[in-house]
Amino acid sequence: MRRYILKRVLLMVPTLLGVALVVFLLMHVVPGDIALLILGAGEQGGDVNLSELAKVRHNLGLDRPLYVQFFSWVWGIVRLDFGNSLWTGAPVIEELRIRFPLTLEVAVFATLVSTLIAIPLGTLAAIRQDTWVDYIVRVISIGGLAIPNFWTGILLILFLVIYFQWSPPLVFVPIWEDPWENIKQLFWPIVTVGYRNAAVSTRLTRSAVLEVMREDYIRTAWAKGLREFLVVVKHTLKNAMLPVITIIGAELAFLMGGLVVTETVFTLNGLGRFIVDAILRRDIPVVQTMVLMTAFIIIFVNLIVDLLYAWLDPRISYGAHRAGQR
Amino acid sequence: MAQVMREGPMSLTTPQLTAVAAGRRWAGTRAWPAIRKFIVAKPLGAAGGVIILLMVLTAIFADVLTPYDPYTVNQRVQFTAPSLSYWFGTDEFGRDVFTRIVYGARVALFIGLLAAFVGATAGALLGVVSAYLGGRVDLYLQRLIDVMLAFPLLILALAIVTVLGRSIPNVILAIAIPIIPRTARIVRSNAMSIKENMYVEAARAVGGSHLWVILRHIIPNVMAPYLIMLTAQFGNAILVEASLSFLGLGTAEPTPSWGLMLSGSALSYAEKAAWLAVFPGLAISLAVFGFNLFGDSIRDALDPKLRHRS
Amino acid sequence: MRRLTVGVILLTVVTLVGLWTAPLAMAQEQPRRGGVLRVALAADPPSLDAHQEQTFAVTQPMSAVYNNLVVLDPHNYPKIVGDVAKSWKVSGDHLTYTFTLHEGIKFHDGSELTSADVKASWDKVVFPSAGVISPRRGNYQMIKSVEALDRVTVVFRLHHPSPALMTSLAHPANFIFPKKHLDTDPHYFKTRAVGSGPFKLKNYVRGSYVELERNPDYWKKGLPYLDGVTYFIITDTSARTTALRSGRVDTELRFLPPVDVHTIKQQLGDKVVAAKIQSIGTFGVTVNAGKKPFDDERVRKALTLAIDRYDAVKTLSSITNLELIGGVMHPESQWALSQAELEKLPGFGRDHAANLREAKRLLAEAGYPNGFKTVLTNRNIKMPYVDLAVYLISVWKKIGVDAEHRVEETATWSQSRLNRDFELLIDPYGSTTVGDPDEMLDKFVTGQPENWGRMSDPVLDDLFSLQSKEMNEAKRIQLVKEMIKRILTKAWRIEGLWTTRLEVRTARLRNYEPMPSHWNNRRFEDAWLAAK
Repeated sequence: MRRYILKRVLLMVPTLLGVALVVFLLMHVVPGDIALLILGAGEQGGDVNLSELAKVRHNLGLDRPLYVQFFSWVWGIVRLDFGNSLWTGAPVIEELRIRFPLTLEVAVFATLVSTLIAIPLGTLAAIRQDTWVDYIVRVISIGGLAIPNFWTGILLILFLVIYFQWSPPLVFVPIWEDPWENIKQLFWPIVTVGYRNAAVSTRLTRSAVLEVMREDYIRTAWAKGLREFLVVVKHTLKNAMLPVITIIGAELAFLMGGLVVTETVFTLNGLGRFIVDAILRRDIPVVQTMVLMTAFIIIFVNLIVDLLYAWLDPRISYGAHRAGQR
Repeated sequence: MAQVMREGPMSLTTPQLTAVAAGRRWAGTRAWPAIRKFIVAKPLGAAGGVIILLMVLTAIFADVLTPYDPYTVNQRVQFTAPSLSYWFGTDEFGRDVFTRIVYGARVALFIGLLAAFVGATAGALLGVVSAYLGGRVDLYLQRLIDVMLAFPLLILALAIVTVLGRSIPNVILAIAIPIIPRTARIVRSNAMSIKENMYVEAARAVGGSHLWVILRHIIPNVMAPYLIMLTAQFGNAILVEASLSFLGLGTAEPTPSWGLMLSGSALSYAEKAAWLAVFPGLAISLAVFGFNLFGDSIRDALDPKLRHRS
Repeated sequence: MRRLTVGVILLTVVTLVGLWTAPLAMAQEQPRRGGVLRVALAADPPSLDAHQEQTFAVTQPMSAVYNNLVVLDPHNYPKIVGDVAKSWKVSGDHLTYTFTLHEGIKFHDGSELTSADVKASWDKVVFPSAGVISPRRGNYQMIKSVEALDRVTVVFRLHHPSPALMTSLAHPANFIFPKKHLDTDPHYFKTRAVGSGPFKLKNYVRGSYVELERNPDYWKKGLPYLDGVTYFIITDTSARTTALRSGRVDTELRFLPPVDVHTIKQQLGDKVVAAKIQSIGTFGVTVNAGKKPFDDERVRKALTLAIDRYDAVKTLSSITNLELIGGVMHPESQWALSQAELEKLPGFGRDHAANLREAKRLLAEAGYPNGFKTVLTNRNIKMPYVDLAVYLISVWKKIGVDAEHRVEETATWSQSRLNRDFELLIDPYGSTTVGDPDEMLDKFVTGQPENWGRMSDPVLDDLFSLQSKEMNEAKRIQLVKEMIKRILTKAWRIEGLWTTRLEVRTARLRNYEPMPSHWNNRRFEDAWLAAK
């Protein structure tokens, strides 16, 4: 088992490099580059002079051979230098730092909100499976999933501006500086994202609880006549929470990507919108850095999940008794 | 974007044990009586099924259902409110919204079904192969799956759409690819535990070839998680297409696609012509709702452990 | 006696009139000091150096921090007025322009602005060193040299006479930077702002806002009236509209779609002014003259004949900013053909049925009796790119031309355009200053960078070079009209429609009139905010 863990950790390096390489190649295969945008190709009066274009490309290092560009970036990573944004010239890390607190706050609070809703609701639905309580919870949560996520945000904003002539503040203030201003800006995005995640988590909690409830030892507890509440809380939840918690942990990583639409709709200066802009502008160092970081989180979380399940179910095991090794 | 891709009744990191169990026990059931039992026992799922059926019929009979063409621009009837001649009103070009919704069902179904099918099938195959061959092959294939999982849908969509163009097949490709690793993971864990079973060892001992073992024993047992992923991703694919269109990477005008209708005109004209936002939104929500209800109940039905206490 | 009566009556009348108008005269408001103007900025500025960038996102916020040599008069468009230049003289042969600067202009760091700074800044634009970008360099080809004769005199020498010189010099992005920083690092001003303008850069949070505060030592005494200007970066159009409606911002300085403006007006009524401005821009279709079948003049003519522009205006003006019909030069300018002349040219006649018949006939003659399939490449922006394309595609279907709509996002689209990788292309052009023919028409000249369609017509080339040097405006207008007629007759470009722009601002903003281009008039040095 320990060897397996070591192998997986070591394999993370080539995996991450693989991701970085694929992204790099794709960004170069795709037509158009940032030099064109810098020269205002999209603006009226944009005079895309070929010699200026060559100059811009040279300044940004885009005319170097591909392998040089890739390896110099990788070499930079080793020294923790993630390069500079091709659009602003500022270090990528600095650009990320400006936007990170906002995205983190929305992600964390949304997850919190969704968890607080999902666990009680999901458990309730599981206990009362196939009753009207179950049906209602399932309909509401599927309904929540079915509505396109950008739609709810937009409808919400419209509602606020039409009836209250109000829209959230435009500038991000960290929560420790001015909590009220911070909440004014982030409350509705958190609610929008959290509501959606709650829908997902509710269903997952429900199935997880159902799972555990069927276990023999639980049925024995029922038969013994222990009060339902005790049975549920002490035995069921404890075991059911494990998969739910790992799911929530994994969701946190994906939340980052999912915030793209929310940040666009609510005008938040966050990482989600930033990576979309970077991709559309072909700001390659930014894209690569962000993809690398997200990939790292995802791969790491997957490893943890796999290990947890091996621990949970002795039938699945890695290492010496590896299934398939003859 | 990636968050959207994580939905589904049996989400990707759901207890793999359930999938395994479902796979094992389903191997023996017969199809038809199971379906009848399904309708009775799972009214929600049946409702979902009805919605899907309606959608399919609408798509097939689109030209019968409406006399208009979804593309013709008619200045004289721009922004007409819903009326007898234009049931859902008209849009900013004077095109009938009902017509575009109805033809949009074709686009939605085509994209949803195909993307889910291609993605889930490719993923399932990958999972089976990875599990069956095991060892080093499995280890490295899993890393490939990790790479695919980690890859942002947005970059993939951008790459496909810019190089190959914003056509429907390309959008399908962009949506299908992220489904592959997610299905692969689930199917693989299922297949892995089946491999442990004695009867597989027995089949090999008797002299069966690899292919035969895979076809006869493993594949039937991974049908459950495969079908679950499939139905889960139908609805999801439609949502992802809507989001991609919102960001300008999905289908393009003048294609009548619900996602495009919702992202384009709907927002700017939401107050002047609310019907432009309401109907495509309802269509998407209903379709996804139906697919998810149906898939949810399939999942419940296929997992004997979760059948109602009896 | 009668004289006295008349006198009394006259006196009474005069007094009454005087009493009546006097309050009106006094109501000529006095500028009020104070207040911060909040603006919704539609895009993210890449850097703060307007010389090296080609987006309004830099010029809009930073104009208030700097001065230019000359500018378009904020209250008297299209007159050109001196900014740091007090006056200027033109030599008889039109080859030497001598500018005399104001004295006592101070940069924000206290140092004085002299001709050396003007020369250094203009050298950067016209003769950029290696590594320095100057996207608009092409507009200054006629400048041979820039000299600083003495502390307050700058001389521009030209290669040839150019009627377009002054408007080119007045381009809003031509800030005057302090020479001492340009000498140490030409990229200094990408991240820092040291200007002589009415406002100073207080804070810049990337992706979020640019905050400017009043310069108490501005060399134009008594100005500015505002305490500051803040530009909030809001890239989504609906979000900008929302910010205006809820009062989070006071104005949006580019343009908003007609429907959004209507909604804002409905909600805020008199608190807001929605100005419809004649901008100088047109959206049409560039034809790739190198690809079959577009090398055939008959095919091009057929495509333009099939478009009923009068119907197009009706359809598109309510949903986009496309509102005017014109050919090649702005229809309200002195260069435009008259309506009568225009209607004689293909695509502008009133009898649409006849036009359609003619179009089909031309196609048949060219060998396409049943039409043909083609690809219309477009940029991924709904208003007005995609909307125009939807209209054109539906219209061309009627003559059998089946155009597939290939929508690409900006970077891809600009690459397709650069590589000439298109058959038909939705392509705008326009002017950020006054719409001078040099700026507008050089895309029709063989070999010019903006000639995306690779068209080549030697007659047009000659006409262009003639008008470019013609100092007599009447003669120049004639030459330009010749060009227009030829371009439209041969359908070198398929004209679409011309834009107007809707600019929304709070009614409290006084002493400010928007200009055609949203790049201009962003200094706000003498604008002020009323209390209500």
